Amino acid sequence: MDTNTKTLGEALRRNGVTRRGFLKFCTATASMMALPPSMVPAIAAALEQARRPSVIWLSFQECTGCTESLSRSHAPSLENLIFDHISLDYHHTLQVASGEAAEAAREAAMHANEGAYLVVVDGSIPLGNPGYSTIAGFSNLQTLEETVAGAVAVIAVGTCASFGGLPKAYPNPTGAVSVSDIVTDKPVINVPGCPPIPMVITGVLAHYLTFGTLPELDHYGRPKAFYGTSIHDRCYRRPFYDKGRFAHTFDDEGARKGWCLYKLGCKGPMTYNACATAKWNQGTSWPVESGHGCIGCAEPDFWDAGGFYNALSVPTGEISRNASYAIAAGVGVGAIAAGINQRTRNKAVRQHAEVTIEDLEKR
Amino acid sequence: MNEATLERGLNAFREQVDAPVAAFFSSCVSCGLCAEACLFYTETGDPKYTPIRKLEPLRRVWEQEYTLIGRVKKVLGLVEPVTDELLQEWQELLYDSCTMCARCSLVCPVGNDIAYMVRKAREGMVASGNSPTDVQAAAERAVRIGSPMGVRYKALAAQIQHIEADTGLVIPVDQVGADYMPLLSSMEVINFPEYIESLARIFQHAGLSWTLCSDAFEATNTGIQIGSSDIARELVQRIVDGAERLQVKYVIAPECGHAYTSIRWDGPDLIGRRFPFKVLHILELLDELRVSGRLKTEKPSAERITFHDPCSIGRKGGVIDSPRRLLGLVSSNFVEMKDHGTWNWCCGGGGGVSANTDAEALRTRVFRRKKDQIEETGASKLITACANCRLVIEEGLEAYNVELPMEGLTELVAHHLVED
Repeated sequence: MDTNTKTLGEALRRNGVTRRGFLKFCTATASMMALPPSMVPAIAAALEQARRPSVIWLSFQECTGCTESLSRSHAPSLENLIFDHISLDYHHTLQVASGEAAEAAREAAMHANEGAYLVVVDGSIPLGNPGYSTIAGFSNLQTLEETVAGAVAVIAVGTCASFGGLPKAYPNPTGAVSVSDIVTDKPVINVPGCPPIPMVITGVLAHYLTFGTLPELDHYGRPKAFYGTSIHDRCYRRPFYDKGRFAHTFDDEGARKGWCLYKLGCKGPMTYNACATAKWNQGTSWPVESGHGCIGCAEPDFWDAGGFYNALSVPTGEISRNASYAIAAGVGVGAIAAGINQRTRNKAVRQHAEVTIEDLEKR
Repeated sequence: MNEATLERGLNAFREQVDAPVAAFFSSCVSCGLCAEACLFYTETGDPKYTPIRKLEPLRRVWEQEYTLIGRVKKVLGLVEPVTDELLQEWQELLYDSCTMCARCSLVCPVGNDIAYMVRKAREGMVASGNSPTDVQAAAERAVRIGSPMGVRYKALAAQIQHIEADTGLVIPVDQVGADYMPLLSSMEVINFPEYIESLARIFQHAGLSWTLCSDAFEATNTGIQIGSSDIARELVQRIVDGAERLQVKYVIAPECGHAYTSIRWDGPDLIGRRFPFKVLHILELLDELRVSGRLKTEKPSAERITFHDPCSIGRKGGVIDSPRRLLGLVSSNFVEMKDHGTWNWCCGGGGGVSANTDAEALRTRVFRRKKDQIEETGASKLITACANCRLVIEEGLEAYNVELPMEGLTELVAHHLVED
């Protein structure tokens, strides 16, 4: 792999990226990862010198939306360039090779970079029947286990790879599971989102290139730098929430004035992602800014977390029906218990022998 | 002939478990705050006197016969039954160390009326023969003779004669159609006849028509104290019969705590109907007379006095402001005790404790708190409104070698009346 011998800095310059543009990217990356400004030169130096690692990208039960998110490039962005200049050795959608040649490229990359390459996965793995999803005659499970064996770490891109995503939604017909359900002996970084923000994917890679280590993760295996605060806490509409100003329909005065979408089902309060700060489409906008509540796509099982348009305080189950059954049952049991107790007491009252002064003493 | 047996006792406990009792036991969070409110715990430090614990026999019956878990446990033999030994042991807790002063009911954070439950638990104690023999004897005298102290009308008639001869006042007896019929406690007849004299003076002063009733003068109700509604009912019935015979408009409860409770609050429930007359405490009547300007009193005296609230009249009866207004009428130097009114501490002799010699040593011991509180005020005279409290406090002060004169509030007011 001769591309691996070139440093990132050389590759960027060859592609016409100026020093200024490069430093801007380093600064943006540092601020996104909540690193102090003093770290910017360190990031720049590290990225300059970084050997581009070999990356094998595996796609399983997915919709290619994650790749779309990354590769969509109306104008080439720095993220794209960085991504171009890792050594992306295998990627169904993007690679030119097909069939046996494609698989050969994967095996070659694995052998050449044994113990040092990164595996990126998008899509969930079906365990119900291996035939649900196969590539070159191998089940996804086989491909994953074989490829991960010599990898340094796995980056699960998108909610399907991170948590099972849409394939795993009730009733989960394919028995879909996430990468971390299978890979337990290697570090797995979850970069959920449906799809994830491009900059978050490149940010994780940049962290690896800069420090040679994996970023600090939260309890869901997500990099804290990007998934540390909730959408709600960073939302520009938060002041309206605090003042109790809500849109109640998508075409009322509140919606037009840009008030809080909580009552229209915004899942911002329970969703941890960087949308509100990083935004989408090169910083153009993000769902809440365009007038739709957050659907919570970076959280596990978001498909099954009740309707997208139910406010968070609305219970997801059949609460009122269940509650009325419970109340009816409670009333029934209570009435029976009261009846039994009343009988006990009535019997005692019937058996009451009048106390007179004759029988105060024990005889 | 009937006799007191464990089985009768258990049946009585069963009978006494009503909705409030069940709710109280289920809501108890075992916080122990009631202990700190109980004179018998604070003065001895013995946790066995924790008020809610005194209800263990009743609690067991409730748990084992009225709760699902308790019944299952009973079937599996996992419960401790209520035995004669248990009841014997608990006699001290339910009688000797409880005056039903209800201070515990007041502090309970979940609102359990513990005093109400003690009263109910005593029903089971009576039916099983585990009530104190002294109180049994008092009840016997009350039913047979008409007074727990064995006072017959003859003795009262003699006192009346004395008073009339000494003072020239008239004490009407059995006058049909009089407005007011005051009751007396036998303690007043025997120990504090000044009360009768004061009544006569006040009624004459205010120009009210009144009468004593020769067959219903006794206000005390040993049935309430020992904890037998059957006996209490009979005693209340006597008063109701007497009042109806004389067709009075008002029955006036005397300076006696539980007598007020029994005739004013428990009475109609016991006999199962409304009274055709109104019941007032003598202090309530005096305060009404004060308001309507029918009490003409001399200049308030400057002697430093303090007031002991009888639990049954104050905390349980709500007569708290009237005595203070009356005290203001006669004194310019009235000082409150540290805890007074609703929060007063019991003298230690209510609820039948003073009639129970088993409890004497304990009663004297726990009296220390009241003694300290009285001394703290620096008063040179203690006023109260309950003959029982008065006797208990007099005896208690004597045991602690404290010299302090006492007087009933009615008496004090009577002494301050001025005739035109």
